[in-house]
Amino acid sequence: MAGPDGTGRFGVTVERARQRAVALDSNTDRQLAEHRLDAPGKVFSEIRAFLLRRAGGMATRNDPYQLLKFRQEHGLEVIVLGPPVDKGPTPQHFHFDSGARLSFGLTLREVERGSQVVSFRYHYAFPDGRSPHFLRFDLNDGPHTDPLAEPRCHLHPGIDDVRIPFSVHNPIEILDRIFFVLERAT
Amino acid sequence: MPEFSTQPFFEVARRLEIRGETGWLAVLAPVTDPTAALDQLQTELQSILQKPARVIQLEPSTFEELSGDLHQPDDDAVILSSGTGLAQEKWRSLDVMRSALERSGPVILWLSPGDVANLTEHAPNIRSFIGGSIFLAGPDGGIMTETERQERLTELSQHFRLTGEEVVRKAEAKELPLEPEFVEWLVLMGRGDLV
Repeated sequence: MAGPDGTGRFGVTVERARQRAVALDSNTDRQLAEHRLDAPGKVFSEIRAFLLRRAGGMATRNDPYQLLKFRQEHGLEVIVLGPPVDKGPTPQHFHFDSGARLSFGLTLREVERGSQVVSFRYHYAFPDGRSPHFLRFDLNDGPHTDPLAEPRCHLHPGIDDVRIPFSVHNPIEILDRIFFVLERAT
Repeated sequence: MPEFSTQPFFEVARRLEIRGETGWLAVLAPVTDPTAALDQLQTELQSILQKPARVIQLEPSTFEELSGDLHQPDDDAVILSSGTGLAQEKWRSLDVMRSALERSGPVILWLSPGDVANLTEHAPNIRSFIGGSIFLAGPDGGIMTETERQERLTELSQHFRLTGEEVVRKAEAKELPLEPEFVEWLVLMGRGDLV
């Protein structure tokens, strides 16, 4: 319990909170270093297959073949769908039957026998009139100087300046949550 | 050579999926970098069909080896590669053993341009397995065009009110925010070395 000076046995001080946040980011860094994905081309193919399969079961027409793009450079591969910043619906978004939309971008670094995730951004915008307006899953390419305010891997719960820690997921696992959890609750 | 439909590999895989994942089809290998193309076909088959895909080279395989490979296991996807092309006699032998080639999983014949005539003339029964399902390997798509790249760079620049030069300077000075949009920005500018 915290004492009057905020230094009780639970360490309820902002300094202790920052220490815990640093530890959490270190754990994220370790997970990322150990987490191997398939080669970038295979990851791209799996994401496209996932989107093709989901698009086939929807009333809203989406063409993942046209929407999903990649670019390779310096051993890095950027895989994107939709605009780099969500400012409202565009034809390049993936549109759900609920009226929600998705855009994302992830960067992979090619390593021996596979790839590692460098960063990602998945922006799921709820239909107009819903609150929160959006959820965005971000992985930064390094730790912030204040990991309490900005954990390396975080979720924006509809507020750009609020970042809730989020565990490292592979690209398909995040799509699983968007398509099978968020969209079904919308 | 008759005119065949050009299809990206994921579309070839989807055709197999629609057929219930069984059946035969043939793909004509591209002239440039057929090895990389074969890898891509294998990847797309695995992604779309959600099952393993193997490549078996037809040329060195004996009857017993080929029959064994095709049935152990029997239900994955198999790409039978003719390499740089099979001799007429090899096609005739394959046609004779056609019943041993039948399996529950899909079979994709990976052919060189000269193989189609030999297949039709010397392996008519295998040719009938394939029917009209012969495709030219087409561009796989997905590669960002130069126009799309420029549009994304413009969107990023307008949103963050920074020029590309400023982003590079900040990255070099280790002053760039560690956020996914800036990673994409650097890669799109060809400066992935700063990530």
